[in-house]
Formats: sequence, structure tokens, C-alpha cells
Amino acid sequence: MDINLIKRLIKIVEQSQITDLSVQEGELRVRISKNSNSASQLKYQTVHELQPSSIQMPAQAGEPVRDTKTAGKEVHADNIHEIRSPIVGTFYRAPAPDADPYVQVGDVISPGMVLCIVEAMKLMNEIESDVSGKIVKILVENATPVEYNQPLFLVEKT
Amino acid sequence: MKSEARLFNIEEFDIKLDTEFLGRNFVYCDEVESTNKLLLESKEFNQNGTVILAEFQSGGRGRKNRQWVSNSGQNLTFSILLKDFTHGKKINLFNLAASLAVAHSIENLYQLKVELKWPNDVLIKNKKAAGILLESISKGNKIEKLVVGIGVNVNQTNFQNKFDISPTSIRKEFKEIVSRERLLSEILNNYESLLKVIKYEPEKILTDWKAKCKMIGEKVKITDYTSVKYGIFDDIDQNGFLILKTGDKFEKIHFGDVSLR
Repeated sequence: MDINLIKRLIKIVEQSQITDLSVQEGELRVRISKNSNSASQLKYQTVHELQPSSIQMPAQAGEPVRDTKTAGKEVHADNIHEIRSPIVGTFYRAPAPDADPYVQVGDVISPGMVLCIVEAMKLMNEIESDVSGKIVKILVENATPVEYNQPLFLVEKT
Repeated sequence: MKSEARLFNIEEFDIKLDTEFLGRNFVYCDEVESTNKLLLESKEFNQNGTVILAEFQSGGRGRKNRQWVSNSGQNLTFSILLKDFTHGKKINLFNLAASLAVAHSIENLYQLKVELKWPNDVLIKNKKAAGILLESISKGNKIEKLVVGIGVNVNQTNFQNKFDISPTSIRKEFKEIVSRERLLSEILNNYESLLKVIKYEPEKILTDWKAKCKMIGEKVKITDYTSVKYGIFDDIDQNGFLILKTGDKFEKIHFGDVSLR
């Protein structure tokens, strides 16, 4: 099997919520899995078998297994941290409609920096970062509703 | 009117305060920018239940950074710091309970009929007697501090600015100057009792709040930053959000100014 194909498959698993992926080509089967017990650490193994299956998607695929310590914290690759909404409300990236956003993708952040506001019923909740890192993705559009514990930002930890 | 303003008598307040933790750390300021801001940002005033009362707020705020105007020495503008609560799912109950605490206190002490407007305005004869703004800080998804800012029009009789809802004061409705000290202690006593209700019997907050809101079932207009919505104020859900019924559709409203159509 082409090493580049394996690398691409690893990337697909890394960027998705799939925890386990097996691919077979001829006699070679490759299994890529994210180890949920060690905070989604990515690993892969090759297995020589003669089973005729092509791609296996285990039952738990798409539903990452988390232990209680990591639940709500880490679901992606090891150094990607999710910042989630503590309340139900409306998500705002800026302190006022005409103000600049608190943060943009690519910004380097540190613990205590304000990232956004979630408003609900005359409660303005400022969400501060709890990690140091870089914002890699903002998952919610400005001024849209968010649910309790919904992921808002992906942060690459440093 | 200035001659009627007088300093807050902490002893008089303390005698009537019957709480375990609310107001046990009490800070009285002549002037601050905002009592909410001070509690949110201060490392010095960090004890659960701390109350900061200011005679004058140079930057008093309401929702959307609206100005909160209050004459020095005549009203109550204060903030309560809460640090000990379970999680974000119940947070709106702290909000509804604050308006209930103010309503109960005004009813108990002055026998005035008080109504509530979603989410937490306190009205006497359809005029606004108190407003509440909550601010919180969370680190990641954990709420660390919740600050409940309450402004009550107590002894002020002239309101010269322009307001969305006509203001009134307890003095205007009760026809007498009232004790700010007694009122503040009563609000804190009631709020602490309601905090226990949130813990053990949360649905009671919703029931009690609904009993005081006369807009439920009425045709309403909801204005937020960018849009206006019309419908029937059907109910509030378990989180306190307004359920707006438009035709056969139900929509959950997180915030906005509600008025009767």
C-alpha cells in the first residue's frame, strides 16, 4: 500500500470524529484508530490478514468515546482544544455590533483572554480562554443561537 | 431633591439582614463606574455573596450598554457576587429569581402590587421600578463568577431622561419616603431563600415567576438588535426562555425587549 495513501487516511481520521478505520488492499490491512483513553492520541498499525472486507467502520465511529476526565475537553487530535458554551444563548464575537471581534482565526491566545460573549435573558456571559494556543477555527457564526456545551472555538494548544 | 438624599446607614441595614452569606461581605462606595464591573474584575472582593452598593455609578449600565440613571442617595444600585452554583443549565433561574426577590420585597414591605416583565423587569402599575443586569465570566465552559446587578428606584420622584418604559419609584407609588436599608436587607433575605429554592425545587421559580407575569398569553412584539418579531407570548420553557407562538410555529427567544402589541 502506498505510504502516501496511509498518510492521507491518517489525516482523514485525525480531522474527523471517526475513532477507528480499517482499510484492506490485497493482503495488507491498515487499521487507524484514535486512542480515546489517552485523549484521542492518533496511532496506526498494519495487519497482514486475508479477510475480504474492504473498509470497516466500527459501530462507535462518529461518536468518540471519552472518559470522564476528558469528556467535553478533548475530542480531536491531541493538541486541539475545544472551547464550549457554558450556557444556552446567543453567541457574539464582539462586545458591540459595531466593534471589532474579540479574536480572529490565527490569533494567539492565553488563559484569561476574552474570546466571545454568549447572551441570554439580560445575562452577558464573557467566555475567557482556559488554555494558551492559537485559534484554528471559529465554529459558530456571529449572532446565532448556541446550546449548552456546544463547541465554539478550536484552539491549537501550545 | 438633593436635601432628601442621605447616606446609607449600614447599621440599620445590618440589623435586618438575616442571611448566611449574601451581604455578609458588604462594600459601600460613594461613586464607582459600575458595581457589576467592579465585582467582575476585582480580585479584592472575591468572597461568595459579596454585595457592593454604590451611591452613584458614573457608568451605570443596562442591557445593550444602555445607561442606568440614578440620583445619588435616593435609590439602590448594587451588585451581588455568586460563585457557588452548579452549572450553566440553571443559570437563568438566578436571573428570574432576582426579579422575584425584588418583587416579593416590595410587596411584603409596602403592599404594592408588583408585576414582572420578561426576563426580569420589575413593574408597578406598568411602570419600571427596578431593572436587573447579570454578567458572568466563564473560563472555557466553566462559569467562575456570576454578578447580579440590581437597580431599584426607591425615593427618586423626578425622572428627566427618556426611557423605553416609563419609570416610577416606590416612593411615588407608596406615597412615602421609604428606608433603603430595610429594602436592601429584605431583597437579600429573599434572594438567599430563592437561591435555596433553585437548588432543591427549581421548577418553583418558574411557577412563581409566571404567576407574576401578566404578558403570558398576550400578543407581543419582541425587538432585538436587528429584528422585530410578533406573536403570542405562549410560555417560558424550563430554562426561562420565552416561547413565542406565531401561527402554528413556536420559537425560543433568548433575549429582546418585549412589549404588548
